[in-house]
Amino acid sequence: MTYPIERIRNFAIIAHVDHGKSTLADRMLQATKLVDARDMREQYLDRMDIERERGITIKAQAVRMPYEASDGSEYLLNLIDTPGHVDFSYEVSRAMNACEGAILLVDAAQGVQAQTVANLYVAIEAGLEVVPVLNKIDLPAARPEEVAEEVAALLGGDPADILAVSAKTGQGVPEVLERIVAHVPAPRGDVDGPPRGLVFDSVFDPYRGVITFVRIIDGILRPDTHIRLMATGFHNGIDELGVISPEPRPVDALGPGEVGYFTAAIKAVELAKVGDTVTDHVRPAPQPLPGYREPTPMVFSGLYPVDSADFPDLRDALEKLRLNDASFTFEPETSVALGFGFRCGFLGLLHMEIISERLDREFDIPLVTTAPNVAYEVHLDERTLKPNEPRVVTVSNPAELPAPNRIDHLLEPVVDAMVLCPSEYVGAVMQLCERRRGELAKMDYLSEQRVELRYTLPLGEIIFDFFDRLKSSTRGYASLDYEPAGMRRSKLVKVDILLNGEPVDAFSAIVHADKSYEYGKAMVSKLRELIPRQLFDVPIQAAIGGKIISRETVKARRKDVLAKCYGGDITRKRKLLERQKEGKKRMKSVGAVEIPQEAFVAALSVGGD
Amino acid sequence: MAVVTHAADAVVAAPTPVSLPTPGAPGVYVHVPFCAHRCDYCDFAVTTGADALARRRSVAALPRELATVAAAGPAAVAPRGAAGVLAAPDGAADIAGWPVFGSVFVGGGTPTLLDADDLAGVVRAVATALPLAGDAEITVEANPETVIAESLATLVAAGVTRLSLGAQSFSPSVLATLGRRHDVSSVASAVTAARAAGVAQVSVDLIYGTPGERDADWHASLRQAVGLGVDHVSCYALTVEANTPFAARVRRGEVPDIDEDVQARRMATADAVLAAAGLRRYEVSNWARPGAESAHNRTYWRGGDWLALGASSHGHWQGRRWWNVRPTGRYLAAVEAGGAPVAGAEVLTAEQRRTERLLTGLRTVDGVPRAAVTPVDEAQIGALVRAGLLVDDAARLRLTPAGLPLADGIALRLLPARERC
Ligand SMILES: Nc1nc2c(ncn2[C@@H]2O[C@H](COP(=O)(O)OP(=O)(O)O)[C@@H](O)[C@H]2O)c(=O)[nH]1
Ligand SMILES: C[S@@+](CC[C@H](N)C(=O)[O-])C[C@H]1O[C@@H](n2cnc3c(N)ncnc32)[C@H](O)[C@@H]1O
Ligand code: SF4
Ligand SMILES: [Mg+2]
Repeated sequence: MTYPIERIRNFAIIAHVDHGKSTLADRMLQATKLVDARDMREQYLDRMDIERERGITIKAQAVRMPYEASDGSEYLLNLIDTPGHVDFSYEVSRAMNACEGAILLVDAAQGVQAQTVANLYVAIEAGLEVVPVLNKIDLPAARPEEVAEEVAALLGGDPADILAVSAKTGQGVPEVLERIVAHVPAPRGDVDGPPRGLVFDSVFDPYRGVITFVRIIDGILRPDTHIRLMATGFHNGIDELGVISPEPRPVDALGPGEVGYFTAAIKAVELAKVGDTVTDHVRPAPQPLPGYREPTPMVFSGLYPVDSADFPDLRDALEKLRLNDASFTFEPETSVALGFGFRCGFLGLLHMEIISERLDREFDIPLVTTAPNVAYEVHLDERTLKPNEPRVVTVSNPAELPAPNRIDHLLEPVVDAMVLCPSEYVGAVMQLCERRRGELAKMDYLSEQRVELRYTLPLGEIIFDFFDRLKSSTRGYASLDYEPAGMRRSKLVKVDILLNGEPVDAFSAIVHADKSYEYGKAMVSKLRELIPRQLFDVPIQAAIGGKIISRETVKARRKDVLAKCYGGDITRKRKLLERQKEGKKRMKSVGAVEIPQEAFVAALSVGGD
Repeated sequence: MAVVTHAADAVVAAPTPVSLPTPGAPGVYVHVPFCAHRCDYCDFAVTTGADALARRRSVAALPRELATVAAAGPAAVAPRGAAGVLAAPDGAADIAGWPVFGSVFVGGGTPTLLDADDLAGVVRAVATALPLAGDAEITVEANPETVIAESLATLVAAGVTRLSLGAQSFSPSVLATLGRRHDVSSVASAVTAARAAGVAQVSVDLIYGTPGERDADWHASLRQAVGLGVDHVSCYALTVEANTPFAARVRRGEVPDIDEDVQARRMATADAVLAAAGLRRYEVSNWARPGAESAHNRTYWRGGDWLALGASSHGHWQGRRWWNVRPTGRYLAAVEAGGAPVAGAEVLTAEQRRTERLLTGLRTVDGVPRAAVTPVDEAQIGALVRAGLLVDDAARLRLTPAGLPLADGIALRLLPARERC
């Protein structure tokens, strides 16, 4: 039995990070009596350890909440909890395409932030009915009237109509549910046509294979359907068809408008990617749903085992993680300094952090991670081309940038960035963006106090500590969101770092020519701080195209021996050595130099300015 | 040639002319935990404010513990299944199976806080319970202000051959920073008294690198120590030990932290001044007139065997280490109840033994036999030799004067690569 389509409401909650999305979802689970107070735990829908610990949503989750509305009928509310971070903007857009409405949740103390606006645009683009809601009205610092004005300025409409709630206490939450029933349109779909379902998330489960979350657009999926995923071509019989309400529960059909999941012995999420269309293998839909896109990594980094003997284990670990996450890529590469490792591609910095954290947590392989970088498009000089060599190459590892004399010109990825900040910080933000080679595209006053700035910025500048600098120069008041905006031609050069006179390829970075001296100097002095004194002097140099631009020396240690009398207590001394041995696990030997892992990401804190 | 002396002879034994005991002969360490007050930098197992009763109990407990250990024989301290007893070179071994011991070290704390007769009794008890070489080195540690002529005579009569005096510094301001309560002149009086009493060898301990100590202060301390004509000098770099008042002062920023470059320089000064006075360095922190090296300390650095008595003491026998409970009260209670005061023990794996040999062996100027530490990371050896830190003569690995201050880091590098990671 499928649910009557006219009584289904599919909606997402969109909000800037920490504005209370997860908390509001918790309250809804309670207000619809799906979870009673006794079984309630915070952030109910965040399932991964990392999500709970960091308080962020990485995976979209869908929960089905039967709700008896004040008109006396039962409705089916499907809440799709979307990830809130720019790195996952494509996943957000797919999740929204699975909905007809969105709650725009705004912290009544903080007001509208960049992610609020960015997500709002995505919702509008997806044609969603937007229900604005102010949250945290229980806070003494809440300014519901002012923030309502801000929201109305964005959305139009009467500020007085905007609902105000406290997701903490639950105040106002029933009104939100009523408004969803009243304002969010029911889905529409062709129940008789061949099935088409939008995959908006997929999660790997070691026992059941991939659990694929779908929103049915047309037709009906049944437990005996032989499904096909149209982008990847994967097809198989369904093992289990179900809904999350709030725990997984099998159902015997999913019809138009409904949201649920299926398993079908799918071995990796790669086979059921976000954005794909699920159909019936026997009676396939003629056309997939629009909007499918292959995930494109934007940020790259080298991952190397500290102990080269761990290389096969690292490969296994990356393969396992990929079963879970189809949006990161890895390819083996070798580094003169670091040996065998992988060049990994990520959606963004947070995504990179999450993957490294999972590697560390789930596999325990000591790793060296190189500073992140973007991918450059290198146009080679025609005259230097070797037979069959393409004229344009993509370089995702700075060490592989061809020699300067072979390069005609370079393109780097840029983003359209939106910064929202109180007006008194406009100057500071502009200064930062200009130092980071940004070009101002637009500046708008959302209200007298809130300014929206739009810049075109090189992505390579954003990944160098931009967010932290933005926060610190605006006392935490600015917020940032961005989206890819193609490639731009730039004057870039490679800065190499030499230790003991030997270039260490893993330290090479591509930076703008005008900043290369400054960068080289800063990097050398940062490394001097980070590399501990050793048994020998370690000269550190920065070079551009073979020319040394900066030099410092880590002076040899002159004494390290524990020269105190320790009687017969040698155990203690051995333990000390064993602890140091442990410490060495975090060091990578390059030639005779021992380099702590942090040094490889030193560029992060010296980039830009 | 070592001669087995038992109780009867030991009492009358006059201090024999000192020659080094048989290399490899085991030692006995006896810990006396009492101090008049705790110095700010010290984290040794020390009890302050102990009354006469506690001291009396200690004096009774030590021989009791000793008797039990002695009667149980080496099998009780060796790892299970160890290849029997390591017999002394002449094959001598006593009834319980003990080989001949070459050294006794009564350390502290401040052993000389005990009545001289009691302390002498402890020394005699060792000679009664265990076979001691006739030329055994018998050291007593002493704080300068606790040393008086009569007590020294008593100790010498009991067989004490060596006195180790905690001078620490000859600079009053440095002594104050360290929280020491003796005054500079007491060191000279103590040395004179020791000589007069017939103590065969006198050593002083010095500490360098104390915050506020200037190069000139250190130089002067060394000169004064040398001027006293001592046979042996130990120079220890001040170590800031966690949970000491000193560490708290550093943490609060009241005194600057240790500067290892300064300590390296002081160490070099020590070597120069002492060498000029005919004292040869034989270990990272120890210098001696040729022939006056401490046999007991060498046992530690060569992976030798020693028994441990008293609270918190650590023993080693053929790859097994054990240690007594640390609080004096618990130690006394255990012994008085007729039990063993042992808090823990470990049997070292072959790899741990090699690690320890490398770690301790490299501290000595003679270095360590390669065979005792193989495998090491051969790839590192070349670089260390080229850097002038290490000498590799096929039979032994040995540090140069430049390498000695870096002994710990070098040992770490030499550990085989796979163990290091
Ligand atoms: N005082 C108050 N705190 C709230 C309210 N809603 C959420 N919070 C708190 O705000 C923080 C962020 O909430 P969370 O739901 O994790 O935000 P999310 O990042 O949008 O999912 C948490 O500490 C919540 O407890 C509210 O209505 N009032
Ligand atoms: C076991 S202590 C006992 C010596 C005796 N109680 C005295 O202080 O005179 C032996 C020597 O270790 C040294 N020592 C103790 N604590 C030290 C520390 N924290 N740093 C460096 N040397 C230390 C002192 O030189 C001391 O003389
Ligand atoms: S006198 Fe010696 S053992 Fe006692 S506290 Fe001072 S340094 Fe430590
Ligand atoms: Mg959340």
